[in-house]
Amino acid sequence: MPVTYENESMLEIYIFEASQSLDQMEQIIMKSEREGTFGEEAVNEIFRFMHTIKGSSAMMMFHNITTIAHTMEDIFFFLREKRPQILDYSTLSDLVLDGVDFMKVEVNKIKNHDAPDGNPEDLVMRLKAYLDEILTTVNTGEDKAAEPETVSEKDSVCESEGLEVQPSAAVLDSGGEGAPEPPLKPRKDSKKKKSVQSYKAKLYFQDGCEMEHLRAYGVVHDLTELAEEMFYCPQNILEEDGTAETIRNQGFELFIRTTATMEELQARIEKTVFLEQLILGHADQPEFEPHCMHQDDIHWIPAVTEKEARENAASGNSVSDTQLPLNGNSVSDTQLQSAVKEQPAGSQSMISVNVEKLDGLMNLVGELVIAEAMVTQNPEVLALESDQFQKASRQLHKITTDLQDMVMSIRMVPLSTTFIKMHRIVRDMSKKLNKQVVLDMAGEETEVDKNIIERISDPLMHLIRNAIDHGIEDEAERLEKGKDKIGRISLEAKNAGSDVLIILRDDGRGLSKEKILAKARANGLLTKPEHEMSDREIYNLILLPGFSTKEQVTEFSGRGVGMDVVAKNLEEVGGAVHIESAYGQGTTMTLKIPLTLAIIEGMNIRVGSSRFTIPITSIKESFKPAAKDCHKDPDHNEMVMVRGKSYPILRMHQHFHIEKTETVLADGILIMVEDEDKEICLFADELLGQQQVVVKALPHYIKSMKKILGLAGCTLLGDGSISLILDVSGLAGLRVR
Amino acid sequence: MKRVLIVDDAAFMRMAIKNILQKNNFEVVGEAENGLVGVKKYLELQPDLVTMDITMPEMTGLDALKQIRKLDSNANVVMVSAMGQESMVKDSIINGAKSFIVKPFKEDHVLQTLNKVLGL
Repeated sequence: MPVTYENESMLEIYIFEASQSLDQMEQIIMKSEREGTFGEEAVNEIFRFMHTIKGSSAMMMFHNITTIAHTMEDIFFFLREKRPQILDYSTLSDLVLDGVDFMKVEVNKIKNHDAPDGNPEDLVMRLKAYLDEILTTVNTGEDKAAEPETVSEKDSVCESEGLEVQPSAAVLDSGGEGAPEPPLKPRKDSKKKKSVQSYKAKLYFQDGCEMEHLRAYGVVHDLTELAEEMFYCPQNILEEDGTAETIRNQGFELFIRTTATMEELQARIEKTVFLEQLILGHADQPEFEPHCMHQDDIHWIPAVTEKEARENAASGNSVSDTQLPLNGNSVSDTQLQSAVKEQPAGSQSMISVNVEKLDGLMNLVGELVIAEAMVTQNPEVLALESDQFQKASRQLHKITTDLQDMVMSIRMVPLSTTFIKMHRIVRDMSKKLNKQVVLDMAGEETEVDKNIIERISDPLMHLIRNAIDHGIEDEAERLEKGKDKIGRISLEAKNAGSDVLIILRDDGRGLSKEKILAKARANGLLTKPEHEMSDREIYNLILLPGFSTKEQVTEFSGRGVGMDVVAKNLEEVGGAVHIESAYGQGTTMTLKIPLTLAIIEGMNIRVGSSRFTIPITSIKESFKPAAKDCHKDPDHNEMVMVRGKSYPILRMHQHFHIEKTETVLADGILIMVEDEDKEICLFADELLGQQQVVVKALPHYIKSMKKILGLAGCTLLGDGSISLILDVSGLAGLRVR
Repeated sequence: MKRVLIVDDAAFMRMAIKNILQKNNFEVVGEAENGLVGVKKYLELQPDLVTMDITMPEMTGLDALKQIRKLDSNANVVMVSAMGQESMVKDSIINGAKSFIVKPFKEDHVLQTLNKVLGL
C-alpha cells in the first residue's frame, strides 16, 4: 500500500543515512566476527549507529525500526559500559545481523513507498533475552540489581505541615503583576550591606517537555550565583530520574536566601524554557500549601556547594576525549585545523545528490551538445566563412565537450560499494552450507555509470551464490582432490575499452559439459547437433530459461530462473555474460558491461531518407561489395565473400521496410558488424560519417506498442534529424543462430 | 536575524533542525558533523547560538560544550539529547549549557527553547 510523506527531502536523507549506517554496521560486525572480538572502537561505532538510527526513525515515526534500534542500542550501551567477556561472538553477530536485516527490509519498504509494517516482536524478544543473559553473567558479582530503584513519590515529597498563611504578597504567574519593589541597588557594591531576603518559589513545567528534574536543576544552577543559601524539593533531582514524574505532578519547590530583589529573581527564573507557571513570594508569607517541611526544619544548602560542584565537574574529566590543549585560554586555529583534518570517512567534502537531478543534468547537457552542433554546423553560418566565428565556435565546442565529460564523470561510481555487499553473501552462505570460503577482490575502484551499477548487483549476487552452492565443493571432497580446504572466490573489475569487465573466478568443481548437454537434451533446449557445439556454446546453455543441473532445488539456487535472469539483466544494459570452465578446477564468469549508456561513438548511415547510427565498437569494416562476391546459400539467404569467408547479409531496407533505397548490393555499402562471435553485414545506402552521439531511449509509447527488434535507442544528429541507434546484437541474432 | 550553528553527526538531524529554524526567521550559518568541527566553526562563525548533539564521534557534545564555553563564556549552547541521556544532560547543565531539547522533538519545542535562550 503506497504511502506518501509530507517532507520528501527529509525522507530522502533519512533513507540515505539509514542505508549507509546499516551497510557500515554490517561490515563492522562481520569484521569483528572474523577477528573473533568486538573491540572498543567497534562497539562504540555500532552504538552510535544504532543511536542515530533510533533518533531519526523516531522523528520520522517509524516505530518498528525505532524499537529494534533502541533495543540494540541498549545491548551495545551495556557492552560499552561494562565491557563484559563475550565468549559467543557468533551468536552476537547473528543476532545483530538479523537486526540489521530487519531494518534494511523496512527501509527498503519505505524507499518503495510502502508502509514499513514488519513485526519486530520476535526479534525484540531475542535481543532482550540476549541482553538479560549478559546482564546476569556480569551482575553476579555486583551488589545492586541491574534495575534502577523505583522511586516512590512519597520518598521524595516531604511531608507538609501547613504553615499559617497570611496571603499578602501577590501570586506571580508567568504574566502576573509584580510586588512593590525595594529600592534597587546594583549587586556589585556592598553586597554585605544589602539585606538578605528569603523567598519561596514553586515551578510547574509544560506538559511533555521531558526531563523536568534536569530543567529544575537548571534553575538551581542558574540561581547559584545569586544565592546565599538554597533548598529545593524534591532534593534528589540529580540522582533520581524518577523525580521528573514527581515534578510533573506536584511542581518543583525552591527556597532561596538572596540579596536579589523579587523582580530580579522572577526575571531570572522566567528565563527557564518550558516554564508553565511560577509562584513566587517572600518566604515568611507563603502563598501556597507547602509540600516541603516546616521552614524551621529546612536545612539550608549554602549555595557554595553548588558552585563547587560546578567547578569540580568542569575541571574533572575534560582532558579525556579532546586533542586540544587545556592550558591557556584559547585554542589556536592551527591546532584545531590539524586536529580536524582526520575526518571520518563519508564526511569529507562530498555531498549526496539525487540521481534524478543528475539524470536531468545529463539530459540537458546532451541537448546542449546537440544545440551547439546545430548552431556551429548550420550551413548558412558556415557559408559566412568568418574566422571570428570559427574561433568562437571552437571555443564553444571545447567548453561543451568539457562540460559533458564532467557530467559524465559525476555519474561514474566505483564498483566498491557493490563488491563490498558480496562479503555478506559469502559469509552467510559459507555459514549455512558449512564450507569455508574466502573472497578476494581487485579493481573495485573501477568506475561505472550509476544507472548500470544498480542493475549488476543482483546478477553478481546470484553468481556468487551459485559459485558457493554448486561450485565450491565441501571440505572433505576438496581435500580428497588435493585442493586447499578453504575455497577461493575472486572478484575482479577492470576496464576494457568502452566496457568494464567483472570477472568472477572460483576454484570449485567446474562445469560438466556432459551434465549440461544431458539436461539440455532432456529439456528439449538443443537447437544444434551436440558434436557441432563449441565449449562456449555448451556452457551458454545454462543461460537458457528453465535450465538447472542440480538435482534438487536448494534454498539458494537451482530453480532454473537464476542464470537466464542474469543474462537478461546484462543484456538490458547492453552487456553480456561469458562463461569459461575447467572441469575439476573451477569456473570463470565474466560480465561485460558498458561504461555508460549515455554516450556512444557512432557511425551514421543512410537508408533511403532514414538515418541510423551504428556503435563504432561493433563495426569491423565497411566496403562496397563486388557483384561477384555476392551469392546465396542453400536456404536462399544472401551472403558475401570476404577474404575467403562467407558472411550473411541483412538488408536494412527490407528489415525496416524502407522504400526508395538502393537495392543493388554493388550500389550501396556493406558494413560488417559483430556481436560476440556473430558477424553479419548490414546493407545501407551510404555512410554519413562518425559522430559522438548522446543516446536517448526510445520513447515509451513506441516501446510499449511493439517490440522492434534491432533498435537500441535514438539520437538527434547535428542537423536536427532523428537517427535510430541499431542494436547489433539483436540484428545479428536474426541471421546467425 | 539570529545566527545558529548546528552540530550533529546525523545529516538527518541537522536537516530537521535546519528546516525548523529556516522556517522561523533564524539564519543557519553553519553545520558541523562532530564536536571538533563544531568548535572550529564556532570560532570561525561566532554564531548567536549552537545546537549541540550529545553523542558524536571525534569529540562528544559535552566536550565541545566545555571547549566553546572556555573560548566564549557567553556562548549560548543548547544540547540535543535523547531519553536515557540524563547524566550527560546534567553534566552539560553544570558545564554551562543554557538548555536542552529532547529527541524526538517537535517544532514548537525547538522554537520555544531557542527563543527563550536568546531572550526573544
